[in-house]
Amino acid sequence: MQIITEQNLRNLIDLLVKEAKLVVGPKLSGSVVLYEPLTAGTELTLDALPRRSSKELFFPVCEDILSYKREGGGMKVTDVDRSKFPETVLIGAPPCDAGSPSILDAVMSWDYKDEFYLERRKKSTIVGIACTKGDDACFCQAVGLAPDAENGSDLFLTPLKDGSYACNAVTEKGQALVAAHKNLFAEGAGAEPVPFVDQAVQKLDLVKIKKWLEEHFEDPLWERIADICVGCGACAFICPACHCFDINDEGSTDDGVRRKHWDACGFAKFTNHASGHNPRDVQNKRYRNRIMHKFKYYDDKFGKTLCTGCGRCIRACPVGIDIAEILETINGKAE
Amino acid sequence: MNAKASKNQLTSIEPAYYEAVTEAIRKEAVKILKEETVVGVVGYLPGRRKGTATPALVTSVEEAEKLIFSPACVNNLSVYLTKAKKGVLKQGKVGIVAKGCDMRALAGLMTESQLQREDLFIIGVVCPGVYGFGVERTGTLTEANIARKCRECTVHMPEGADVAAGTHAELADLTPEEAEEMARIEAMPQAERWAFWKEHFSRCIRCMACRQVCPFCYCEQCLCDKNRPQAVESSPRPAGNMAWHLVRAMHLAGRCGGCAECERVCPMDIPLNLLNRRMAKELKELYDYEAGLAPVEKGPLNQYKEDDDQSFIK
Repeated sequence: MQIITEQNLRNLIDLLVKEAKLVVGPKLSGSVVLYEPLTAGTELTLDALPRRSSKELFFPVCEDILSYKREGGGMKVTDVDRSKFPETVLIGAPPCDAGSPSILDAVMSWDYKDEFYLERRKKSTIVGIACTKGDDACFCQAVGLAPDAENGSDLFLTPLKDGSYACNAVTEKGQALVAAHKNLFAEGAGAEPVPFVDQAVQKLDLVKIKKWLEEHFEDPLWERIADICVGCGACAFICPACHCFDINDEGSTDDGVRRKHWDACGFAKFTNHASGHNPRDVQNKRYRNRIMHKFKYYDDKFGKTLCTGCGRCIRACPVGIDIAEILETINGKAE
Repeated sequence: MNAKASKNQLTSIEPAYYEAVTEAIRKEAVKILKEETVVGVVGYLPGRRKGTATPALVTSVEEAEKLIFSPACVNNLSVYLTKAKKGVLKQGKVGIVAKGCDMRALAGLMTESQLQREDLFIIGVVCPGVYGFGVERTGTLTEANIARKCRECTVHMPEGADVAAGTHAELADLTPEEAEEMARIEAMPQAERWAFWKEHFSRCIRCMACRQVCPFCYCEQCLCDKNRPQAVESSPRPAGNMAWHLVRAMHLAGRCGGCAECERVCPMDIPLNLLNRRMAKELKELYDYEAGLAPVEKGPLNQYKEDDDQSFIK
């Protein structure tokens, strides 16, 4: 087994920064911890789950996709040079975050290839870390992940009781990262791993839940939730797996930028048609879509569940809607 | 009775107080449902997680017996009676559990002709305070876990309710953190103050939770959703974020009841209530007006008088 000490993990970050790589990891930013570019290993903080998930590394909050300018008699359109996207290392993502890109790859490379997302994915290495603490909103085990799940990580770190980390190179990218910085890693037996916390939510039967969803497109459950949902996008925006976006041209008619930015199915105007017709005209249809998308539609299409159980939506919901509780309810109802 | 003299000098509010309020709320809710005074009661039910509560519209006696009040009952429930949450009021007269700060929102909504007093049965809560964000939820409320807004609460006793649940209890000698923070920001040179807000707004992801929980953001067409032509950039970038938060602060001037829900729900910890407080201060200085203490015919910014001060027009 290979071991890296905490100091050497921080040294690795320093080295990667020197190699002109973009290194992103949990960092204290004002009063919140966010995934932000690290300029030194000392900035890495592993004390708290970042408020926003690491999906923004591949799917930014907002990005320019082209610019336009009126020139002569016509309009000159300039694409974004995606070859300039930097080589990136995401470091310190727990399984609920590290696992999300491998879920999103399916939709981003489906009938339409999202070159912005895919280029960033190609150039990135994910160093995941096993999770040793959590709270009563965490439910990764219930949706098939685990605090020590390696899904999605290229290199996976397990915290050991002596403060160092056991390393497992899961993919070739992970092996390459270790091989390029061999002197920071040591061969050894290592200390005992730090134990994982127990989660409040028991494992859910996702097959059963999906079947119930298939049979209950109409159900009083949706109205009960809609009674209290205020229709904001907080749950979707901080979710590692939600990936809806909107595209807007911003600027003047002569000069401007086309931008892609996060959108959310909870918003009243999300499905508003140009005609004025809105097929999801009330909140219960919108919340139903959120659950259906995560636990039925995505599975139908790609064979994966669109939820990693990070619990962010539960912690952030202004009105206390608890997706784990809803899933437990459905799990109990389903035959 | 002199409220100050009778004030209990408490350092903690024990679970027993909330249990007593809970009992009173249940009793009243059951009564008005049984008597068919109302079609439902908007209140709080316990959440799955320890020390949490969630808003609920209860329509049966059985459900009403599960209503609770605890320091986790942070929401301003008046949002459920607004146009933005269509459907609740339409069903008939409703009961609502309201803390002092929620009462201010109800009064403001009545001022703006969004609610009729006779359509409501208000179960006022004599509220000693609620939890802040990310604090330890032990059931006991102390200086360590009380919300920022509650530290300077002036409406512990709800006025104008049909019934009041609870007796007067409040924590003594709380540091007025919000007032201190506002004084700190006001003392900053303008450039520094601008930088303070720029930094905060740079984190905004435009999830619109601030708008959606606000009882006064009930417009059916929000300026910020308009895209033909686009009034405010809808992408989460510095320019649009700044514009959005300024537009909101201006629209809430003289209207915001100070429930600070916008700040509580912001996933990015933007101290939005500081903007609201600042606007409230302006209204107090300019018009000697405080929003939402009691329903009035018209607020100062939605009426015109010939002798209004015109000196700001240059």
